[in-house]
Formats: sequence, structure tokens, C-alpha cells
Amino acid sequence: MSNVKIGESLRRVEDLRFLTGHGRYIDDINLDGQARAVVVRSPYAHATINSIDTSSVADMDGVLLVVTRDDWQREGFKPMPTKSGVKNNKDGTPLSQPDRHALAIDRVRYVGEPVALVVAETLQQAQDAAEALDVDYDELDAVTDPVKALAPGAPQLWDDIPNNLCLDFELGDKDGTEKAFAEADHVVSLDVLNNRVTAVPIEPRGCIASYDASEDKYTLYNASQNVHANRDTFAEVLNIDPAKLDHIAPDVGGGFGAKNSGYPEPPLCLYAAKRLGRPVKWINSRSESFLSDTHGRGQSSRVELALKADGTFMGLRTTTIGGIGAYAWTVGPFTPTGGSARTQGGPYNFPAMYYSGKAVLTNTAPMDPYRGAGRPEATFQTERIVEYAARKLGFDPIELRRKNLMPKEMLPHKTPMGLDVDSGDFPKLFEMTMDMVAKADQAALKAKAEAAGKKYGFAIAPYLECTGGGPKEHAGVTFNKDGSVELAVGTSSTGMGHETSLAQILAAALGIEMGRVKFQQSDTTATPLGGGHGGSRGMEVGGNAVKQAADEIIELAKPIAARLLQSETEEVDFEDGTFKAGASSVSMNDVIEASQDADKLPEGMEPGCLNHSSVFERGIISIPNGVHAAAVAVDTDTGTVEFLGYWVMDDFGTIINPMLADGQVMGGVAQGIGQAFLEDIVYDPDTGQLVTGSLMDYGLPHADEIPNMEIGYYEGEPTKKNPLGVKGAGEAGCVGACPAVVNAVLDALKDDGVTHIDMPLTPQKVWKAIRDKGAHDPKALLGDAA
Amino acid sequence: MEEFTYTRPATADDATGAHSAAEDAMYMAGGQTLIPVLKQGLAMPTDVVDLNRVGDLAGIQVTGDAVTIGAMTRHAVVAASAEVKGAIPALTVLAGGIGDAQVRNRGTMGGSLANNDPSADYPSAVLGLGATVTTNQREIPADEFFDGMFATNLEDGELIKSVTYPIPEKAGYAKFPNPASRYALVGVFVAKTAGGVRVAVTGAGQDGVFRPAEVEAALSADFSAAALDGVTVPADDLMTDMHAAADYRAHLIVVMAKRAVNQANGQG
Amino acid sequence: MGFEGAMPEISLSINGAPVTGTVEGRTLLVEFIRETMKLTGTHTGCDTSQCGACTVHLDGKAVKSCTMLAVQADGAEVTTIEGLAPEGEMNPMQQAFNDHHGLQCGFCTPGMVMRAMALVADNPDPTEAEVRHGLEGNICRCTGYQNIVAAVLDGAKALRG
Repeated sequence: MSNVKIGESLRRVEDLRFLTGHGRYIDDINLDGQARAVVVRSPYAHATINSIDTSSVADMDGVLLVVTRDDWQREGFKPMPTKSGVKNNKDGTPLSQPDRHALAIDRVRYVGEPVALVVAETLQQAQDAAEALDVDYDELDAVTDPVKALAPGAPQLWDDIPNNLCLDFELGDKDGTEKAFAEADHVVSLDVLNNRVTAVPIEPRGCIASYDASEDKYTLYNASQNVHANRDTFAEVLNIDPAKLDHIAPDVGGGFGAKNSGYPEPPLCLYAAKRLGRPVKWINSRSESFLSDTHGRGQSSRVELALKADGTFMGLRTTTIGGIGAYAWTVGPFTPTGGSARTQGGPYNFPAMYYSGKAVLTNTAPMDPYRGAGRPEATFQTERIVEYAARKLGFDPIELRRKNLMPKEMLPHKTPMGLDVDSGDFPKLFEMTMDMVAKADQAALKAKAEAAGKKYGFAIAPYLECTGGGPKEHAGVTFNKDGSVELAVGTSSTGMGHETSLAQILAAALGIEMGRVKFQQSDTTATPLGGGHGGSRGMEVGGNAVKQAADEIIELAKPIAARLLQSETEEVDFEDGTFKAGASSVSMNDVIEASQDADKLPEGMEPGCLNHSSVFERGIISIPNGVHAAAVAVDTDTGTVEFLGYWVMDDFGTIINPMLADGQVMGGVAQGIGQAFLEDIVYDPDTGQLVTGSLMDYGLPHADEIPNMEIGYYEGEPTKKNPLGVKGAGEAGCVGACPAVVNAVLDALKDDGVTHIDMPLTPQKVWKAIRDKGAHDPKALLGDAA
Repeated sequence: MEEFTYTRPATADDATGAHSAAEDAMYMAGGQTLIPVLKQGLAMPTDVVDLNRVGDLAGIQVTGDAVTIGAMTRHAVVAASAEVKGAIPALTVLAGGIGDAQVRNRGTMGGSLANNDPSADYPSAVLGLGATVTTNQREIPADEFFDGMFATNLEDGELIKSVTYPIPEKAGYAKFPNPASRYALVGVFVAKTAGGVRVAVTGAGQDGVFRPAEVEAALSADFSAAALDGVTVPADDLMTDMHAAADYRAHLIVVMAKRAVNQANGQG
Repeated sequence: MGFEGAMPEISLSINGAPVTGTVEGRTLLVEFIRETMKLTGTHTGCDTSQCGACTVHLDGKAVKSCTMLAVQADGAEVTTIEGLAPEGEMNPMQQAFNDHHGLQCGFCTPGMVMRAMALVADNPDPTEAEVRHGLEGNICRCTGYQNIVAAVLDGAKALRG
């Protein structure tokens, strides 16, 4: 009998080491003879590099090596490729991809861009030398705002990329949407900012590279959430065979997308390790992380909604200008284009939709996926215009949503954005959420807010998103003679608990004890391929790979069971950890044991014959969906917002481990709340310097700023797109949160005339909106640029 | 962090001696501001004179009309002091709201005052209560102690030993934290004393802590939150940064003053 | 007068064991703990004393070991996460974090647990609001805090016995 089941809230097996201080993160690893590296970063947003004088530090204590552009060019190292899912402009021409080298070659194009790598015996010596390195720059004009970067006369980042336009994209039926707008009774339009933020995993990035000359082999320990793809990128840059590079992620202290990209520091350290013949360790500081980690969101959009007189939605049109930093990073150009297009319109029935998005180069840090990467933006754009329209046209915002949700009978449905919505019941989730809210007694919450002299606001935000990330995943299972079962998967948990949830899937499928499963991940040697983590793919692709491997192992085991049962393979059935043939039965445990014993195996089978690997490939991306609702109290004297309630209903399909799913939702909501109220990457528009370069100025949510959430799951509509029926849970929290909380605040301020405030809704901005009685230009962001 | 010579004197005299003997020395009190400053290379002293083992700098004494707090008394100790709470409860509120629990276990009153960060809390209590700062050389009245942002009238090497706060009839402190750093974006200390009403604002002024005349005047006439209805504070000399423009700070001064008065009056 | 020169020798107790070592004046306590003592459960997550991942106990009080010099711990009793449950078991607070899924990536966790232990030592029966306020010096980016708060309340209950 199986001890564990799918759907059970198993406690995490990885917790013991984390809770007792025995986790092994990148900075906990030290290799014999290692040197320390520090990156010299550009102090300018845009400048020509005239010279780098390495002689200025060569004689300093402990300095071993200074890697510069000269080395990079002499070695013929390649630029890092972009792997954007959208590769062509709307006119069919390829996107403009500037060369992105690990070190700036001719010019620096953002503050924090790597200019050199200094390696010394100790960290202190490397820091001292990095500070002393003499680099001569000529500063150039910089532009940090993507809307301004597109405008005539803007500073040009690249000589061969006119108007800083990397990618010009469209999706949907332009003419049909125009027709819908022409025939509509009402059209509302609003410019919406999705503020630029960064993930801030509490563990900064870092790596240790080493090189074994005798085998011409590299080993890279790296705080990465995507070791296979990163390995291929680094190997391509350094002109080496990927098979010669072992890429291993130890315990990784959070990622949220920021540890997904192909960053410059690992190839720099790999090169330095080879040059020096000793391991090279590099750990980013927090201040450097703000400058050099990828940022996310950062979209300015005009959202237009066409409605009939009765409120029926007829069309949605969104025009987005998104900054992507100074280069086209790993998938940077995709986010403001294809990534934000797909889930436009959410779970509503839109007969016509059109999206156009421009990915624009600016003198800022790289932009790459941050939890959700496009779906939070699309949901926010959709939900803001719906709320705005309701207010402007006099509809009840709840009723307007209810009226326009796709009915269940409409599914399966392909949206005008091409999204394959196969399963779900949006009206049901909406009503289930309203039932949760009703139990909380809105009138009492409102009275509580008003008794404290505050204004009460409520909003509900349905969302619809989609999974993403690598479509293939590998799961390998090895049965050891000591009874342990090794499970190696190419996913990368950076905190999501795959060591538990994937082991749970295997143990439940095979009917073996969890304690036997030894989990291994994020190691390019242990798994021939892997998709790492991104796009809520952990259970959807990784989980199904494990399930598929387990199912195939059961089939492999049937002949062994048949022999033990003195039956025929075709007569053997498997259920709950037990093989049965007629009245007799044998456990999976016994069959596994027999599989190690030549005497008990059928002819032609060898000990270890159950060891098995499987590759699962996702067909069509899944569609997680659900509803968030928030109740807030706004202190109009100061502009501060307090939560009175937060409710979530999610349809993630089958839930593997509800406790872990809750954790994903809670963490995602907290990041959404952070973006909505606190977090903001701000560059000085004149100098291009990062203003929010530390946690003194970049606000992260604390324990007293996040509400308790009531979370429910609807498992009545599992997807048929994969065997487990899972839809993905990792990003949904931050997809639904921003619109729910922003609209709740605006509901509280509706009698003050406030119709819109751009995120983050800091106390100052909320107070000013109240003071200015809501005076707001709906074309404030794009002006005539849309 | 740059190298420095570390000394750990046991007496105040040794501390001032070590300071004057060094080329470019800094005292280290709780270190909660100084250590991050040293890490970022914003200060590079040749010598750090650690005050944490100087015997007679920490402690609390409450007499009939004053509370004297030793310079090296940690915020957590002040926050938890029943004696201080009995005499000037607003001081425990202020000390209990500085930084976070870990910071309060190290940070000291004297360090906070000597640094005079424009968004630190303690300067508002010193100015708001008209306290007296006792150093190794002299006694300095609050109105003469502060000298603009990050500046005081302490001489080079002069060491704060204690601060004596006259016990007011009532007092209150209300702080609006910076959403990111949680330092005071605006902090207002109000005190009603036998000699009149004093109000001190931290976090907002371009020249550090200051007394807002408009608020003091209104509260002198009527020490109630209602007395501040319609009172405005000019924004001219207030700070503007990404978290709060001067006009928002000016507005918050009145709001926080009302809350401080309510607290002083036992109404919140 | 204390130390002359740049390399003070210090003696302290870490997790109950006496320790001596030579440090520079500028050596941070967290550096001494991690690099000299090889106790890597104490983490560094920021450089401005905000994240709290480096929280340890100094003579029973929670402090940020990144904002203290190692030499300042001379003569003190320091407890790190490794000292809470030396036998490799979990103490009631650690168990509560496991039971309530109060951790995900685990990086902020040692600091969070150390702060939680100090919090309940000062206030054995805290309210939810007191816990939330009491954790203001520790940032978690994964959990949204809800399960951490539940864990601290439950851990406090277990520790009360």
C-alpha cells in the first residue's frame, strides 16, 4: 500500500536541512585553492570606453588576473544569444538583436554593466583592485524611459538599430477589432503603467567555476534556476562543447525568474578558472544585485475597451511600449510582445482583440522574466480597463465582470489571442469567490474601516494565465540495492519544494514509501536534459515527467510481478502499490527487490532492469485560472492602505500537495502586493543612475504589510493536456494580486473622484490623488505615441 | 570595508584619549548606522574607537523632574523601561519604534544623536523635550545641539555621556515611516511642559530636526488635535525625495502632530 | 585599553563551545561565523542591515551579525541556527516552521527562526499582530509571511508547553 497520495499536504523533506542551518547554497561552497572574483561595473548609463589600464592594478596585493574586453575579443568569444519566443517583427523582418558580450566591448550601455573581472587571492583584495582599476570613459547621453527612447531625437544605443526599437509585434485581428470599436456604443481608454520591479531573491546570485586541464572539463556551481539552458549558452559563448561543462545548482535561495537568464558572470569565471588553473568564486552583493539582476514588468500601455450599451464586451485593444534594457536578453524581447499578448482579455468573452507591443532598448539593466512575465501585465491591463469602464459608464464592477465571463459551455475555446482554453468554469469560480467573501461580512468590514476614520474598498479580479518555460522534461529513476530510489529531474526548485512534491508523485504512483526517494535536480550530469524552472512548469512538465516514468516502470515491472505471481504479464494489474493476478498479489516493494535479484527475474531481464528514464513533452500550454478579491481600508489622511481581507479561488487542475500550492499562492500574492504598493525600480531620467539601488529605497513587503489569505481550489476541471491534469501554480498569485488590490483602493476612493493611480500606490501617490480630486490624464503615459 | 585600527577603551577618558591620538578616528556606539556606512566606504576612518565597553555610559536614572539616559543605552532597554514609561511614556514609544528589534538590541541613543541623521527618531525627543546633552566637556541645551543634516555642535572628539530629559506634563511621538527603509519620513514629538508646548519634527527638514512654529503656536493655545485643524506648515525648507515631496511631508507633519497629541492626551 | 594593532584575538562561546580566533578590526561577526567557524547556516542577504538573514543571538538577544564587528562579540555567548538543535533534530519552533510550511527557499529561514526564538523569549504568548510587527527586521520573499506567522504562533505555543 502506498503511504502517500496525490493531493496530500505532505510536510517537506528539504525543510530539515534548511531549518537547522545545513542548506548548501552557493556561498556555502568553497573549493580548494579558490580565488575570488569581483566584477568592475560601469558607473555610467551610456559611455564610450576609451581605455582600460590593467597595469593600474597588476601589482596590487593578491591580484591574479584582470579579464577585459581585450581577452574576450582575442579569444573570439561569442555574444550571448536571445531565445525570445517571438523572433520576427510584424513585417516579417527579424528582431534587432545587438551583440551582448559578457564584457562591454566599445561602449557601456547601463549602470552596472560588466567592464572587467578582477580575480585575486581574497575577496578584499579583489574588491580593492576592482575599485582601483583605471577605466577611461567618455560619457554619452542616456535614455531610460522606453516611451522617450522611441521618440525622435532620443539618444541611440546602437548605431544599427533605429529608434532603439528591438521588436515591433502584433497579434490578433486588427481590422475586426477596429470594426468592433466603430460599432460599439461605448469606448473607454486608459494609459496603464506596469511599474518596473526586480525579483530580489534573498540569496544574491553567485557562482564557482573550476577547470580540469587533464580532462579539459569545466565544472560550474551556480545559483541558477535553469542549468541546462544556461550551460548551452555559456558553452556557446566560450566555444566549448556543452558536454565538457558540468553545470550544477546547489540549494538556490529564491529565483522568481531572476536566476533564469544567461548572465555574464559565469562565463567570465569559467574563463578565469581556465586561465588561472584554479577555481574562481564570485558572489554578488545586494547593491550590485539591484544594478545587475534582471528587472521585470516596466510596461506603459494604452488599453481600450469597446462595449455595447448593456455592458457586453465587444473588443479589447492594447498598445504597449516595454523597455527591455540595453540588450535583448535571454527572452527579454518576448515579455512586452508575445508574452503580454497571449492572456489579454482574461476569462472574458471578447469577440475581437488586437495587441501591439514594442520592445524598446534603453540605458537600463537587463529585463527578463519576473514571475509571470507578461501574464501579470496582461491581467492588470484587462482588469484595470474593466474597472475603469465600470466606473466611467456607471456599471457595477462586479456585475460587469459577471456578465462578460466566458460561460462554461463556451469551452474549449480558442481566444482571439490564440490561447487554447480547454477547461475551466469561470462563472463557478467567480461565485465561489463571492461566497467566500460573503462569509467575511462586508458590512462589518466596512463599518470597521469607517469607525477608524478610513475608507473601505473592495474589488474582485478574475484572471486567466498560461504556463510556459521549457516544454520537455526528463525524469530518471534508479533503484538501489539498499532500497533507496533515486529520482533525478531536470526541473529546478528554488524553494518550491520539488524534493517533496516530485518525490510524492513518484511514491504515490509506485506505491512506495516517500522516505526511500532520494531527489536530485539541477545537475546537467544527472539529467541529460531539463527545463529548469520558469512558467509554472514544475508540476506541469516536471511532475508529468515523473508520472510518465513511474507509469512506464510499472509496465516494466509487470513481467517480474507475473513471475512472482506465477501468472502471465497480461493478467497482471497494478493498483495502490500492489500487482494482482487473480486472487494473488505482490507489492511493488517486493517486485523492486526482485528486480535486483537475477534468480527472481524472468529470462532476458537483468538486475537493475527497472531503472528507467523518461522524457515528457508538453503539447499545448495549460491555462491556470481563478479569482482574487481584496478588501482594504484607506487612511485618507496619510494615503496608507490596510488590508481587511484577501480571498483567492484557483483552478490549477489537480493539486499535488495543497500545502505547497498554498505557499505558491501566498508568495505570489505578496509579490503582487509588493509591486502594487511598494516596489519600484527608478532611474534618474537625466543621468541614468539607479535611484533605488538598495533596500533603503526599494521597498519589499514585510510581515505586517501582507494580509492573511483565504485560499480555495477548484479541482472539478482538470486539464486533459497532461496525464496528471495539472495546470501550474507558481505564478498565479502575482497575476491576480495587482488588479485586485489596486482596484480595491480605487473603489475606496471613488467618491473622491479618483479614477486611476499608477502603481506603486505609495502613500504619497494615494494622498496626492485624493488631494487633486482625481485629476488624471488618461493619456498620461503614451500621449500620441500609441 | 577599509582597514582601520580598532580600540576598545574601558573608560570615557581612555576613549577621548584614543580619539585624539588617532589621525582620523570615529567613535562606534551601537554601530547600526556606522557599520553599513563603513561597508559602503562612505566613511574611511583610520581608527574606530568602540564605546561598547566604556563602563559608565549606559543606564537610566529617573528623578522627580527628569529622566537621564546614558549615551550607550540601547533602544531596546529604553523601550522596555518601566521607569521611563512611568515618567515619559512617549520616549518608550519612540525608542520602541526605531529600526527593528535586532537594531534596537544594538543601537544606542548617543550614537543616534551624534550622527543626527535627518530621519532618525531621537533628535526629535531631545529637541521636543528641551533636553540637555551632557558630554565629557560640557552641558549642551537641545536648542544648541543640532547643526543641520548629519551635523551637531559637538567638537571633534567630544563624547556624549548622557542626555537629561525634563519630565513634561505630557508628551507624544508619532512617526510615519519611509515605506522602504522604515526610517522616519516624518516624525513628530510633542510635549506639554510647565514652560510651554514644544514640538519637534524629524525626517522632514532639509536642515534636520526643527521646531514647527505654526504647530507649536496652535498647540500652545489648545493642546488638542482639533487645534491643528486648518494649520499648515510651509513646505519651503522640507526635503523632497522619491518617497515624499516637500508638500506631502508638510501635510504629514500636521497629521502626525495630531496623532502625537492624541497619544499625549491618552486618546490613541 | 583593549586592542592595539590591527589583529585582535577574541574568545567567545559559539553554540556553547568556547572559541578563540584572530580577526581584523573590520571583520564582521557574520564573516567570522561563516568563514572562520564554517557555520554557514547564518546567511548574508543584503548590505544595508535590512533583510535579517544574518540574525543570531548575542547573549540571548537577536542581533544582525552583518552589522556587528566580530571583535565586539569578544567574551559573549553567540548562538546560531546550528545551535538551536545540536543533535540534528528540530526544536519546537523549527518543527512549527516545518508543520506550517513556513519556509520555501530556506535562505531567510535561519534568521527568521532565530528572530522568532528571541521574540517568544521576550513575549511567550504573542498575538498575531505582535508576531507580524516583531518580524519587521526580517524579509522573506517566498512565503508571503502567512505561514511564518502561523508557525511562530504555533512554535510559541509549543515552547510554552
